[in-house]
Amino acid sequence: MDTQKKGLTVKDLVTTGIFSALLYIATQIGGIPFGMNPATTFYIPVGAAILAGPIYLLLIAKVPKRGPLTIAGILLGIIYFVMGMHWAMDLGIVIGGILGDIIAGSKEYRNVKANIAAYAVQCLGFTGSYIVFEIDPKAWAASMLESGNATEGYLDTMMSAYSPMTLVLMFGGTIIVAALSGWAGKKLLVKQFEKAGITA
Amino acid sequence: MNRQASHKWLWIDPRTKILLLLICVIAAAMAPNLTYEMGLVLLIACFALASGKVRLAIGGAIGYAFFYAISMFVMVYASETLQASLLAFLGLVHKIYLCGFMGGIIISTTKISEFLSAMNKLHAPKSLTIPLAIMLRYIPTIQEDWHFIKDAMRLRDVSPSLEGILFRPAMTLECIYAPLLMAASKASDELSIASVTRGIENPLSRTCYVDIRFHFTDVLVVVCFLAYVVIGRFL
Repeated sequence: MDTQKKGLTVKDLVTTGIFSALLYIATQIGGIPFGMNPATTFYIPVGAAILAGPIYLLLIAKVPKRGPLTIAGILLGIIYFVMGMHWAMDLGIVIGGILGDIIAGSKEYRNVKANIAAYAVQCLGFTGSYIVFEIDPKAWAASMLESGNATEGYLDTMMSAYSPMTLVLMFGGTIIVAALSGWAGKKLLVKQFEKAGITA
Repeated sequence: MNRQASHKWLWIDPRTKILLLLICVIAAAMAPNLTYEMGLVLLIACFALASGKVRLAIGGAIGYAFFYAISMFVMVYASETLQASLLAFLGLVHKIYLCGFMGGIIISTTKISEFLSAMNKLHAPKSLTIPLAIMLRYIPTIQEDWHFIKDAMRLRDVSPSLEGILFRPAMTLECIYAPLLMAASKASDELSIASVTRGIENPLSRTCYVDIRFHFTDVLVVVCFLAYVVIGRFL
């Protein structure tokens, strides 16, 4: 039977839902320690990228079709929005999900390098709010205060911790950490899950 | 009539609950001061009490009162530098607590079938609502799994702590990920079989035992919350 051509089955949707929950928890656990301190808030994307790699790769391996990565991105965006994150971060996560789907899809979801690249792009989505910050720091701070995402003290410390180097570190760090996490995920996939026969 | 028989507590439409959550996000964003937020938490706790979640309501309110007390204490007594770093953190807690509290109540009072039926009435695409429902249901399960995994790791002399991650990272991480992901994929197999058996693939429009409609109580609850938001604008 050629399942590749059919759309998403209920099983695919359920799998996507469960793995989105895991992705949410993993990014949350990785990101929160950085978000608590205003001086390290720029490294939330790096922290978010640490843990989720194996989960993301297993999701691709279980459902190698167009769609699940986009859905996972949208779900993460929704839940982070409800938890009160900056709108640009949520939007970034959704866009990251869609781009990740396209990148992994360009190699039919079977190429490990493309899948890891997709994971890195998804993680870069978390930088959304800082890209908006880079474009216009004043307006960003105003919207953070207005949306109640931060207090003045938080923003002041954050501003003083900011320099162009931070941005380089943030993007570079996210990509490197995502690649490492993806690489660990790939090892785990080969060692444990392919043998157990739970990949599609 | 079904809902009178099966719900002795307050019952409102899942769509109304989503609206309430949005109102809460907006209210938390615009809250002028801490006392106002405390009031909002009490309002949410009342909503939880009316929905029959007594323990959640009391626990949530006490938890928030704790943070409220700490914030007040820090503002009055702490030194300048400690204040700056602590208040930054506490400020974030205050914003996220509200949404998390409301979200927790909504998730624990909504049955999956009700949620899916309500989403169906909103004409939301199934490919989004099914994963969303599953995700919300699975998050508490992860916590449960995590405790089992931790126990199992201790039995096998693998330390599930920061120390273990630092000194034997590969081993420790593998011992966390393998069972967690294995359990997740088992759960996804079982859940999808269960939901296909119950006819989730049926192309006809969904029916539900519970009567999903907007009622007078929905209007009442929304008016309560909206009124509170409007009051906040004029404080």
